[in-house]
Amino acid sequence: MTFVVVLIALAVIGGVRVVLRTRRRRDATPHQPTHLPSASWLGDAGLVAAREVRERVRGRIFRVGTLLILAVVACAIVIPTLIHSTPQPERVGVVGHLPAALRSTVATAAKSVGTTVHFVDEPDAAAARTQLHAGRLDLVLVDGQDLVVNQPISTTDTSTMAQFVAATARTLGVAKALADAHLTPVQSSALSHAKPLPVHSLQPGTTKSKVNTTAVIGLILIFLMLTQYNTWILMGVMEEKSSRVIEVLLAAIKPIQLLSGKVLGIGLVAFGQAALVVAVALVLGAAVGSDLLHGSAPLVLVSTLVWLVLGYSFYCWVYAAAGSMAERQDQVQSLALPLSLPILFGYVIAITAASSGDASPLLKVLGYLPLTAPFAMPVLVGLSAVTWWQFMASAAISVVCTVWVARVATSVYRRAILRTGRRVRLREVFARAA
Amino acid sequence: MAGLLELEGLRRSFGSLTALDDLTFSVPGGQVVGFLGPNGAGKTTTMRAVFGLTDLDGGAVRWNGQPVGQAERRRFGYMPEERGLYPAMRVGEQLEYLGRLHGMAPADARRAGEGWLERLGIAERVQDKVEELSHGNQQRVQLAAALLHGPQLLVLDEPLAGLDPSGIDAIGRVLVEQARSGCCVLFSSHQLDQVEDLCESVAIIDHGRLVVVGRVDDLATSGPRRLVVRVEGDRDGLWTRDLAGVTISEVAGGEVRLVLDDTVDSDAVLRAAMAAGTVTEFVFARRRLSEVFREALA
Repeated sequence: MTFVVVLIALAVIGGVRVVLRTRRRRDATPHQPTHLPSASWLGDAGLVAAREVRERVRGRIFRVGTLLILAVVACAIVIPTLIHSTPQPERVGVVGHLPAALRSTVATAAKSVGTTVHFVDEPDAAAARTQLHAGRLDLVLVDGQDLVVNQPISTTDTSTMAQFVAATARTLGVAKALADAHLTPVQSSALSHAKPLPVHSLQPGTTKSKVNTTAVIGLILIFLMLTQYNTWILMGVMEEKSSRVIEVLLAAIKPIQLLSGKVLGIGLVAFGQAALVVAVALVLGAAVGSDLLHGSAPLVLVSTLVWLVLGYSFYCWVYAAAGSMAERQDQVQSLALPLSLPILFGYVIAITAASSGDASPLLKVLGYLPLTAPFAMPVLVGLSAVTWWQFMASAAISVVCTVWVARVATSVYRRAILRTGRRVRLREVFARAA
Repeated sequence: MAGLLELEGLRRSFGSLTALDDLTFSVPGGQVVGFLGPNGAGKTTTMRAVFGLTDLDGGAVRWNGQPVGQAERRRFGYMPEERGLYPAMRVGEQLEYLGRLHGMAPADARRAGEGWLERLGIAERVQDKVEELSHGNQQRVQLAAALLHGPQLLVLDEPLAGLDPSGIDAIGRVLVEQARSGCCVLFSSHQLDQVEDLCESVAIIDHGRLVVVGRVDDLATSGPRRLVVRVEGDRDGLWTRDLAGVTISEVAGGEVRLVLDDTVDSDAVLRAAMAAGTVTEFVFARRRLSEVFREALA
C-alpha cells in the first residue's frame, strides 16, 4: 500500500510542478517563445509522461480493453453471487401451538441446509391445507407433531425445500424424543443447538477457497496488465526509433528523461486502469454481497495492486531496453518471446497454486525472485503462507533489483536507440560501452 | 542574437569506417551555410554530433565559445535526414508537444505552431494526423517543428529532398529569412543549384574531412577563367578537342562550360568555335557551385 501511496504522491507532485511552471511561463511572456535556462528532470519526464497518458487513454485499444476487463471482473463477481444467492425463506404454516424452543429448532434446521424460515400462523388445519395447496406455504406444522407437504417428497430429491423438510422432520423427531425423555424445553433446546466440535487440520489454508478465487482474479489482472503495458513500452520505444522521431526528441531532452517519462506515463495508465478495475470490483462486490471480497480478500487485492506496481516497475525497463534494440515488427516479436517466458512461468505456477490452495516450496522460492514475485506473492498472501516481514523482504529485493535493472536498461537504451539499420545485439552495446 | 557554431577536430569511427576525420569549420550567425559532400562523406554524422546524437571519439562542438550542452540544444532547431514525427499524432498537438520539450509555454507553443503552419501553407491540416499528410506536407510540419521555438541555430539535413519547386521555394525563403534575423543556418543538400541560390557560404567535406570552405561569391570568382559557349550543330563541344589548355567542365543542353588555363587566349577559343559552326553564346562565367564541388572532390 505504501508504494501505491508513493506513486500517487509522485504523480501529484509532478502534475503540480508542471502546472505551476506553465503558469509562471505564461505570466512572464505571453506572446513570445520562452525558454527555460535548464529544465528540471521531472519537468521534461512529466511532459513525456503526459503525452503517453493522453495518447494511450485516447486509443481505442485501451478503451475497449478496459471495458472488456471490467466486464470479465463484473461477471466473476456477479455470477457466483447469483448462483449461490440466498434462497427465499421456507414458508411454514403453524397450526396450534408451537413453542419458541421448537421454532428455534426448526430455524436451526433451515440454517443447516442453507436457507431461512418464515412462520405463518394459521387458524386451523383446513385453512393451512388451502394455503399449502395454493403454493403459499411450503410446509405445515400441526401442533408441532405432524408435518404436511403438498406433494410427496422423494428420498432422492436434493432441492433446498426437500432438504429443509427432511431436516425439520429429523430435528422435530429428536425434540419429541427429548421431550419424551422428560427433558425440559431448555434442556432440549440446549441439545438441539449443540455446536459441533472444532476440527483441526495439519495443513494450513485448506479453507481459503473464497480468497483463492480473489487471488486468481488478481493474478489474471496482473498477467494481462504486465503483458499489455510492457508490450506498449516495447512497441512504443521501437516505433519512436523506427519513425526517427527519437532524433528530434533527443535533440531536446536526455535519453533518461525520455525513457523515464515513457515508463511513468504508461505505468500511470496501467495503474489507473487497475485501480479502476479494483474500485469497480469493490463497489460491485459490496453491492451484490459477494463473498469474494470478504475475509482476507481485500488484503489479497491490495497485495495485487502493490505487486502490479512492483512488477511493472521491474519489467518496464527490461522491455524498454529491448525495444531500443529493435527497429521492425519482426525484430520486436523475436525479442518479446524470451522476455515473456518468466512472466508466463510465474503466472502458471502461481495460478496452479491458487487453484489448488497449496503453497508449494517452489511457489515460496518464486515469491522472492523479482521476475516471478509479482505472481507468486499475492497468491502466498491469499493462502496466508507468508508473514508481513517476508512480504516486505520480497518487495525490498524487487525494489533493489529494479534499481539495478533500470540503470543497465537505461545504458542499453542510450546506446542502442540511435543505432539504425539492423537489430542491435547486446554484445555490440556492451562492447561500445567498454 | 547572432551566434557562432564551432566544430573543432571532430573525429568519429564506426569500426573500420572513419566517418569524421579531424573535421573543423564554423557556422557564423546571420548566414545560410550549405553543407555539402558526397553520400557517406560524414554530413549526417556531423549534424548529429551537434545534438549529441552520436558519441564523438574526439573533438568539440561549441556554441559562442562554450561547449554545447542540453540547455544550448534546447535553443537549437533540428530537422533530421529521415523525418522524425509521430505518425499517429495530430499535427497541432505534435508541434505543441515538441515546442514544450524546447521549453515553451503551452499557449506559446500552440500559437507558434499554428503560425508556422499558416506560414508554410498547411494551416488547415492542424487537426490531421501526420500519417495522413503527403510527403511534402510532412516535410513542412517537420520544418515547423524545427522552427517554432525560435531557434538560434537551425540544422537541417536534406530539407529540400523530395520537394516540388514550390516547396523548395517556400522552405528556401524561410531559411533565408531566419538567417536575416540573425539565426545560424546550416543545411545539407545534394541540390547544388538551390544551395547556390540560398547560401552565402558552403563547407564541402569528403571522407569526413573538410575539403573546401568559404563564401559562395569568393568560390565562384576564384580559380581559372571559365567560358560558356554554345555552337549550333555541335552540342557536345567536340570542337574543343584540339584546343590546348582548354577542358570541358560541364555540358548541358548544348551549353558547354569550359575551363581555360592561364596561357589560353580566349580569342583563339572564339575562333575555334566559329570555325565549328554558328556561335550563339560566348560569355565569361563565374564558377558554379557544382564545379566547385566536383573539382574539390576530384
